[in-house]
Amino acid sequence: MSRADLASGEVIRMSSLFRMQHLVLTVLLLVLALTGFSLMYHENAFAQAIIRLEGGVHNRGIIHRIAAVLLLANVVHHLLYMLLSREGKRELTDLTIHRRDIDDFLQSLRYNVGVATEYPRFGKYGYKEKFQYWGASIGTVLISVTGFMLWAEDFSMRFFPKFVLDLALVIHGYQGLLAFVILFFWHLYNVHLHPSVFPMNPSWITGKVSAEWLRQEHPLEYEKLKEEGLL
Amino acid sequence: MRRLLLAVVVVLLGAGVLAGPAREAGAAISLEKCTLCHGKPEFRKLLVDGHIRELYVTADTLKGSVHEKKTCTDCHFDVAEIPHRERPKRVACTHCHFKGNKEGAPQSDNVLAYFDSAHGQAIARGNPKAPLCQDCHGSHAVMKAKTPESKVSRFKVAETCGRCHMEIYAQYKTSIHGVMLAKGVGDVPSCPGCHGEHRIFKHDDPQSSVFATKVSEQCSKCHASIAIMSKFGIDVEPAATYKESFHGVASQFGSRTVANCSSCHGVHDIRPPDDPLSMVNPKNVPKTCGKCHPGASANFAVGKMHVDAKKKEAGIIYWTATFFKWLTIGTMLALIVHIFLDMYGRTRRLRGEQ
Repeated sequence: MSRADLASGEVIRMSSLFRMQHLVLTVLLLVLALTGFSLMYHENAFAQAIIRLEGGVHNRGIIHRIAAVLLLANVVHHLLYMLLSREGKRELTDLTIHRRDIDDFLQSLRYNVGVATEYPRFGKYGYKEKFQYWGASIGTVLISVTGFMLWAEDFSMRFFPKFVLDLALVIHGYQGLLAFVILFFWHLYNVHLHPSVFPMNPSWITGKVSAEWLRQEHPLEYEKLKEEGLL
Repeated sequence: MRRLLLAVVVVLLGAGVLAGPAREAGAAISLEKCTLCHGKPEFRKLLVDGHIRELYVTADTLKGSVHEKKTCTDCHFDVAEIPHRERPKRVACTHCHFKGNKEGAPQSDNVLAYFDSAHGQAIARGNPKAPLCQDCHGSHAVMKAKTPESKVSRFKVAETCGRCHMEIYAQYKTSIHGVMLAKGVGDVPSCPGCHGEHRIFKHDDPQSSVFATKVSEQCSKCHASIAIMSKFGIDVEPAATYKESFHGVASQFGSRTVANCSSCHGVHDIRPPDDPLSMVNPKNVPKTCGKCHPGASANFAVGKMHVDAKKKEAGIIYWTATFFKWLTIGTMLALIVHIFLDMYGRTRRLRGEQ
């Protein structure tokens, strides 16, 4: 954290590398969603317009697979960085799910319905961020399994009965839909509609959040930074 | 015998007299003049290729045909001399069958469609083997298509096409469509059922009704119809499930290489799946799929090919799809509920702080 950040009361929340990975992920997921859902809902006129825009079903498939490979490259890069770099290891520690996260979630529910009197105090990543992060990570790995099965259809057909491929197709489509729904609603609220960030949490572009926001939404992290003398 | 002969002569003369005044003097050659030679049963010509052209024609030749009241030179109007110095030209039906003709000869756009078709184009390019009207409709025995004896009637047209398209006709005859047609089932398609009547194009011509991207549409005309298929106990679902499949979607978006009905079920040799010769008999499925997907195994042929994930008969696929559907809906609802609860809680928290 630079001195300039301290002076303006801002804290770095996403380093430039994570912002880049996040941006790449965003673009690729949008491409995958557009090419994927246009096939899944091909009877819809809007989907048909998109397929035409993509240059027909054949090109649609090529775009989808290029995006998928790039996405996996992004995932591998992210994975290596998380496991090997100093910053990544620190983030991974912050992102690890503990018993406490489940308790936080339950307590926030109790608080929100008016049973508990205190709202949980979160560290750098609360249960919302962890759910999103691990949900997206596991989802990406799972959807690639069915994706590869369908991509290498000649290979799959040597080993599996047809219903396995039918199943892979159904699962792949619904996994995509599920991932999209979660990403959409979770982002919609947590980084857009949530009153503390409305209309948008700018950290995915600037990488910074205000110290005041951190104090309110992630008090444990705020206190930790204060203790370390960084704020 | 004498009386009979006399009667024939009288009838022939009568016909000549009746038809006479309607014609130009120069072109008028009466029937009895034609039958002087053509009326002998042995009147024929040996062609250079060894074929024999029968030239035997009597007054009865046109009987029963739509041209019953016509006479020889009505169609063979280029015949003005006897014996003919040159071989008379092939009859051009458009001599009478054109729009606004005075003869009252029926005319539709079919003749125009024919000129555009593969057959008409071949004629235009000078192919002597390409068919003219009379090659399909018959030369003297022209009858309405609805007349069972017509060469282009429902039950006879395949044989007519088969005169030139012999191998295909042989395949068709042993196919389920051909077998059922031979049994007198009128619902099955004969050649025009898929290829069209006059508007026939080569299968690789995009105008063709059996062009790769149009095949499923063509088969669906019958195979998606419950009214027709219920008569034979055939499922109509495959027509719909194909459309939803990878192959079907790609085909609808114009892919010519993707599998259509014919790629798997055959073209002229379509047989029911329980027939060991059928391309979709479980034994042959690996080979059939292998045409495009090399290495497809016998294991791949296990189970149903045409699957509708929206129906319970699809088994595990249906249940998986249903599970995911409710999982997605449930997740969505849970997220929305969480959002509203969180906002409500946050409002209280802010109020409490102030």
